[in-house]
Amino acid sequence: MLAKVLLALSLVPALALALCQPDGQDAYNVRLSIKTALGANAYEWSESEQFLFRATLAFAMRQYTGQETFNVSSVIVCDETPRVSFWFVVTNPSNTATLIPKNTVEAAIRLSRNRINSAFLLSDKTLQFLGIPPTLAPPSQPSLPVWLIVFGVVMGLVTVGILALIISGFIERKKKEKTIEDEDEEEKQERIMENDISCQTLEGKNGVNNGAYTHDEDRLTQL
Amino acid sequence: MVEDSRPSWENPMQFVLACVSYAVGLGNVWRFPYLCQMHGGGGFLIPYLIMLVVEGLPLFYLELAIGQHMRQGSIGAWSAINPYLGGVGIASVVVSIFLTIYYNVINAWSFWYIFHSFQGTLPWVECPLSSNLTTYVPECEKSSSTDYFWYRETLNISSSIEDHGGIQMGQALCLVLSWMVVYLCVLRGTEATGKVVYFTATFPYLVMIIYLIRGATLHGALNGLKYMFTPKVDPKAWIDAATQILFSLGLGCGSLIAFASYNHHNNNFEKQAIVVSLINSGTSIFASLVTFSIYGFKATFNYESCLDRMQLLLINTFDLTEDSIKTDHLDDWISHLNASFPDKFATISSQIEGCDLKSELDTAVEGTGLAFIVYSEAIKNMGLSQLWSVLYFSMLLMLGIGSMLGNVAAIITPLRDSAFLTRHFQKETLTGMICLFCCLVGLSFTTRSGNYWFSIFNDYAATFSLLFIVLIEIITVCYVYGLKKFEKDIELMIGHRPHWYWKITWSVISPFLIIGLFIFFIADYIMNGTPTYQAWDSDLGKTVTKEYPPFAQVVIGLLLVTSMICVPLVALITFIKKKKEQAKESKRSTKVC
Repeated sequence: MLAKVLLALSLVPALALALCQPDGQDAYNVRLSIKTALGANAYEWSESEQFLFRATLAFAMRQYTGQETFNVSSVIVCDETPRVSFWFVVTNPSNTATLIPKNTVEAAIRLSRNRINSAFLLSDKTLQFLGIPPTLAPPSQPSLPVWLIVFGVVMGLVTVGILALIISGFIERKKKEKTIEDEDEEEKQERIMENDISCQTLEGKNGVNNGAYTHDEDRLTQL
Repeated sequence: MVEDSRPSWENPMQFVLACVSYAVGLGNVWRFPYLCQMHGGGGFLIPYLIMLVVEGLPLFYLELAIGQHMRQGSIGAWSAINPYLGGVGIASVVVSIFLTIYYNVINAWSFWYIFHSFQGTLPWVECPLSSNLTTYVPECEKSSSTDYFWYRETLNISSSIEDHGGIQMGQALCLVLSWMVVYLCVLRGTEATGKVVYFTATFPYLVMIIYLIRGATLHGALNGLKYMFTPKVDPKAWIDAATQILFSLGLGCGSLIAFASYNHHNNNFEKQAIVVSLINSGTSIFASLVTFSIYGFKATFNYESCLDRMQLLLINTFDLTEDSIKTDHLDDWISHLNASFPDKFATISSQIEGCDLKSELDTAVEGTGLAFIVYSEAIKNMGLSQLWSVLYFSMLLMLGIGSMLGNVAAIITPLRDSAFLTRHFQKETLTGMICLFCCLVGLSFTTRSGNYWFSIFNDYAATFSLLFIVLIEIITVCYVYGLKKFEKDIELMIGHRPHWYWKITWSVISPFLIIGLFIFFIADYIMNGTPTYQAWDSDLGKTVTKEYPPFAQVVIGLLLVTSMICVPLVALITFIKKKKEQAKESKRSTKVC
């Protein structure tokens, strides 16, 4: 009896190992880049971290299938490398000899991807499930493209500027025309220039007094 | 006689700044650094400075002298110098019209990039997702996110020049805005733009200084600067230097004549000509320093990303611990792993890239490629990228608008000199009509194949024709008008005759150089056969070389011919008119007897 039990016990890990095969049909390869993601705060990959991984995966399976029978023992890991990459398979809790098909596992992981990443302080890029593409965040599309708003503001300012300049030019021109109309003949003569000297100063008046030739009170000698 | 004096600049500083704003344009930022790098820094600066002194300065001086003396735009000025050669003025205006039509499209692109910088993450940082949200758009993955943003989201470029596509709404809106801004600046007359140029001339320098400081602190900037100054021996450097000086100073378009025509008669333009030319060249060199720091940063960033990618590839394939491979020993690791595990290595050998810093730096580009792709790629990796993006594209905008003001002045000033037009149209209406016309024609550059047409105009509209115009200008002044007469005019204006150096360069050296360039251009064209262009292939995610179809070649020919033919045409018409007048005179004199 004891021998049978011992045999059975020794077979379990062997069976487990047999189930988990690299490149197996229902196996997934996981790769963690802890040092790249965390730099100086990187933690060492240990047996306990491995335990956490299997627990998180079991959680993901529970969330997806709704069956609360998945346990840490349902997730089997093999072929660990110093890179920190390994293969894993998920066994059916009701029949530990069979594996959960790949699609189900993938769907479960996709559903809880964020939770799995957070447990390890990693992201889609640094905790890679080879074969499951990362869900890329869709870019936020605002209702009106932002550039149109800025464009509208600048366009508005420029339009106002143009209108202001045109209207002010128009008003100035009207004022100038009015002053030209209003001025009488006398003022118009003043404006006419010849050689930059107003014609009026040359014609109508009696000449310009040249101070150099005017004596003050010296016309008559003093007694 | 009722005095209606010609409007003038408020002070000489405005004139100088207007010339600086016009001459310092996008070519200083995106063509000079490229040439500098092609011919190896030091190897290019020497021919450039020599050409500046023997070719650029004298011609700049000449144009300012003509404008200030004649006090008219290019058409009136050249007709006054010699009625047979009035065609030179008309040719200048035609070239300026071509220039204004296509140049403002660049400002539209600058506006587009500025508006798109007001986002949480810049739109050219990441590739957009394909419809099933699992992968990126294939065109973007094959090229890069900055390429994709430029070719697909900005231009929506078609695969060849024959494929017209429709007008792109976003581009059209930005083009209309650019034209409205230009109209706002020139609305009250060119002389009123004196206030605008205070800003358009100085703002780019502010941005360049900020960028220089930032660029110098970027990781890898020194690599770029070292690369820029490594000389390469190249005879073509002299030719590129000569052409670059000519086009950079904006000679031959009539803008300088237009600006100078608003000067006071005794303005000392000799000093100003030297100052503006030196500022222009100095800016080119300064801009190269900035550009090469940015280049160095981008190249180093790409090089180190390449190394990181290779490191990751090796670690993942051979399941080694994460920090076992150091990037400086990458090559050793590659050879070691190849020897130890040849089979496994063979599976990834196709993915192994040779990471080479020099080849990253060698990807030099000029023109729109540099400004909108390379720079935006560098900006996305800088911290606070939205701020840097807005600063940079605003600088491009100011440079472009400054040059546009000169180009528009070259068209408006001669038109406003014409009494007929001034009588019938107010200056605002005339300016508005010109802007509207250019805007409508310019909309053709916003179609899907618009960028290919833009390249045609950029390469052919104002290159060969300008050489021709400048050559005729200098020969007219020296040999037809007479150097002695010109000297006397200058003496009247600034009080002393020009130094014999100017006279030698005007009469001998510059014409000789320009004729040499002329011959070179013609020989180059004949030898290269059908002109080609770079078309974007969306499946491959890169540009491919294609030949221009016949209708495009016809357009190229028309661009060259329409401007150059004005000179002989006007000469012929004037000759015929004079002959008719002479015939009438002789008939009249015989009648009297």
